[in-house]
Amino acid sequence: MMEYISIVFQPISLFTILLGTVAGVAIGGMPGLTATMAVGLLVPFTYTMDPTMGLMLLGGIYCGAMYGGSIPAILLNTPGTPAAVATAIEGFPMSQKGKAGLALKVSVVASFVGGSFSVLVLLLFAPLLAQQALKFGPAETFLLALMGLAGIISIADENSSLIKALIAGLLGMIIAVVGTDDMSGSLRYTMGYIELIDGIDFMPALIGLFSMIQMLELAGMRKKHEIDMSALHKKQKSEPMPKGITKHIALGSGTGTVIGVLPGEGATIAAFISYNISKRISRTKELFGKGNPEGIAAAESGNNGCVGGSLVPTLTLGIPGNSVAAALMGAFIIHGMIPGPDLFNEYADRTYPFIISLFIANLVFLGVGLTVAPYLAKIALIPPAILVPVVSAFAVLGSYALNNSVFDIYLMIAFAIFGLLLKKLNFSLEALILGLILGPIAEGGFTQGMIIGKGSPWIFFESPIAKIMWVIILLLLIPPLYSYFKHTSLLKTPDAET
Amino acid sequence: MKTGFTKLAILTTLFVSSLVFAGDYPSEPITVIVPSKAGGSTDRTARMLTEIAEKHNKGYEFVIKNIPGSGGQKGFEAINRAKPDGYTIGLVFTPQLVAHIASKRAKYNLDSFRILGNVAQDPAIVVVPKDSKIKNLGDLAKTAKENTLTVAVNGIGSDDFLAAKAFESKAGVTFNLLPTKGSTEQKAGILGGHVDAAFMNLSQMIAQHKAGDAHIIALLAKERSDKLPDMPTSKEQGYEVYMTATRGLVAPAKVDAATLDKLEAMFAKVMADDEFKAKATKGNIQLLPMTGKEYGEYLKGLQADTQAVYDKAPW
Amino acid sequence: MTKKYIDLAVLLFFVVMAVLLYNSTASYTGIAKTTSAYYVKFLAVFIGGLSVIQLAINLFRDKNNYRLHLSQHYPRFLGLLIMLIIFALVFEHLGFFVSAAVFIPVVALILGYKNYLTIIITTVSVLAFVYLIFIKLLSVNLPGFNF
Repeated sequence: MMEYISIVFQPISLFTILLGTVAGVAIGGMPGLTATMAVGLLVPFTYTMDPTMGLMLLGGIYCGAMYGGSIPAILLNTPGTPAAVATAIEGFPMSQKGKAGLALKVSVVASFVGGSFSVLVLLLFAPLLAQQALKFGPAETFLLALMGLAGIISIADENSSLIKALIAGLLGMIIAVVGTDDMSGSLRYTMGYIELIDGIDFMPALIGLFSMIQMLELAGMRKKHEIDMSALHKKQKSEPMPKGITKHIALGSGTGTVIGVLPGEGATIAAFISYNISKRISRTKELFGKGNPEGIAAAESGNNGCVGGSLVPTLTLGIPGNSVAAALMGAFIIHGMIPGPDLFNEYADRTYPFIISLFIANLVFLGVGLTVAPYLAKIALIPPAILVPVVSAFAVLGSYALNNSVFDIYLMIAFAIFGLLLKKLNFSLEALILGLILGPIAEGGFTQGMIIGKGSPWIFFESPIAKIMWVIILLLLIPPLYSYFKHTSLLKTPDAET
Repeated sequence: MKTGFTKLAILTTLFVSSLVFAGDYPSEPITVIVPSKAGGSTDRTARMLTEIAEKHNKGYEFVIKNIPGSGGQKGFEAINRAKPDGYTIGLVFTPQLVAHIASKRAKYNLDSFRILGNVAQDPAIVVVPKDSKIKNLGDLAKTAKENTLTVAVNGIGSDDFLAAKAFESKAGVTFNLLPTKGSTEQKAGILGGHVDAAFMNLSQMIAQHKAGDAHIIALLAKERSDKLPDMPTSKEQGYEVYMTATRGLVAPAKVDAATLDKLEAMFAKVMADDEFKAKATKGNIQLLPMTGKEYGEYLKGLQADTQAVYDKAPW
Repeated sequence: MTKKYIDLAVLLFFVVMAVLLYNSTASYTGIAKTTSAYYVKFLAVFIGGLSVIQLAINLFRDKNNYRLHLSQHYPRFLGLLIMLIIFALVFEHLGFFVSAAVFIPVVALILGYKNYLTIIITTVSVLAFVYLIFIKLLSVNLPGFNF
């Protein structure tokens, strides 16, 4: 093991990791640029590099980008990645109260702990965990999506009426139905647009619903600033981490790592499930939705926990845990390193340094986050008249660059306009995006489960894992629903004021 | 949406392209449209090929443009729509190229392209979980007659799907077909034992087969592969089911023939280059050089076969 | 239009969409009939049902009669929106760099910003940043004029 560590501590390696991680933070922080895209585009580039260096660069980007998504989420309510939507729910209200510095600090520390924990698990237990993950079939994937969707209820009882949040979530799932029906190969609701054959990508939706709406609202604001600036002008005292936050970081790290190992776009699910559980166990439930650092801690440690987790099945079995891991797998294959036991024997001198480099990457973004956060917090001081055109330009560019498609720009604008209308009517856009992202996972799990079960829905209750998951789903659903009906009679409109 | 700008662009193109002669070709970078994601195997093939081509041929410069999505259809159509000035070509893949024609979704047909030749292939395989009792295609057919077997394929209209359908008709069985979102889900299904068998491509499962996590029971080809020389082919096992995913170069049909002859000859040389061969082997890419004419014949045959499957059970 | 009526209209739209969606599953073929069709029907029934409940609640309980405002300052709001649409329209023809070089300063002016030096510096640095990250680092093909 020492020799592997020494490879990582060569100056050139350290520089590569630093470069990758800082680039990753920037990429994750920009609306429209995603880790998947960056890793995918850089894979061919690493092909001419030393394999170990190339992998370290990409690993740094992955770690950095997962954290980077939280920065604009907190400061501008424009999550750079869907996994940071839950972070925005708590982070942006904190920024508005002038507590952006603290929010950023909680986010980077939680990201660091979650990320490092998951990499440690990857290093020590990868083969064992991968075998367990294989038991997870389509039926269990369906239940995992349901667990994520249960998060809608936790969004609901603070921001909008429960019914409207559910409608928004379902609307997201319905929008996700557009495109090719995987079961029959026929096209559903595409209205002849070739761009819709693959369905509606969630990135233009994310950019439209959050970044663009935020910009449209800023542009149309009567008062120049609604943000409490006093705390930002003062020299930032380093505020201590809030008490009792360790519990939520630990919770998120564990949840994130476990969910990361499972198939599917884990980071978003992990962030929402951690956020949801954290809200249930919090002593300060009533602060959720109004800027509770505990929510940021759970969500961020959750999504960064997925980094190490997603690499477990990728490296041991060649089954990538999410789209970034899939792109990263391409980088292994291009150098002739086919995932499987070979990676840990024949190519151990590349694989282990790669895994160890992920620890360094986590340290790098911790350092970057802690030193830069106080300055970043000042982004809120940029006059909207300058901020709006710049972010809007990135929103357009990001929507286009994802699939090299102008159609996606129109889609983004459409999401912004209709999303704004829905938001004004108190429909929850967070629920909408959650439905849009988890809808295809739920549908895939459900339809494949039905086929494997030969038409019988019993398969969704059969395996021991499925039974445990149903218990968790019910635990996530019943208490909030109970308290909801207790406190607000169904027939009383909760949205008294906008 | 497309108004004056497009017209202007077309006029300019016509003017410029009339000035370009094969002799000066190429005077600017050639765009290679790759109808799949950056980092995927088609993308890697294109990048390796153009890298070596640039290295050995002075004056040639290539830019890769990824147009992923809709099973390649977006990218195929972009090649068809490109200015026919010889500065846009594309790397297409089968059977999706012809499957979109068969299902009448494509706005192109094979005559829209000048076929420049094939580069690589990935033969289809049949794979089962490691503890499966099925050891060969005979077992598979027999077991499928006794029970309903759940068999994973990579989406409707894909090479796996066509291979599974072909096997169904040759063996006289019906599978409980499970269409997945991609080879990752197929792998998870096989490794986790959630499905009874899967039709996949060799490169996707060769590592798992060698590690003993899954068993490949047949290569759906006429000849054995040097990547896995011990694996009996479907022909040897008595089932005439052949399928392979090819990746070849095409250009818009209207491009000046002399320019394309030059390009075709250049790529043929690259294909024969030892350095390229070594890189491909290392990158887990199986080469299958074919001339433009050979590949054109192959595509026509494949289109007819695919059409027959589609007409029987449209998707 | 008051918020109440717009809300009702949107919910009514969801109900109609739910019915259409439910009926559309009749045309599903093959295995999709017993898989995807169930899923889509489930979505349709739930969104339709919930919309009807919400519709009823609104009809009887929503006494608010204030107007719905998408924005507090319509000229700026619409200015940004129109510029965005123009940006999208010319994106493929003029490319990112030319369109953004016009878009950023114009929107800044629409929003009432007067410091021309800041506008120019911002525009140039955004373009330089995009050039470095997209063209140099990631070698993305942006349409139009490339360097």
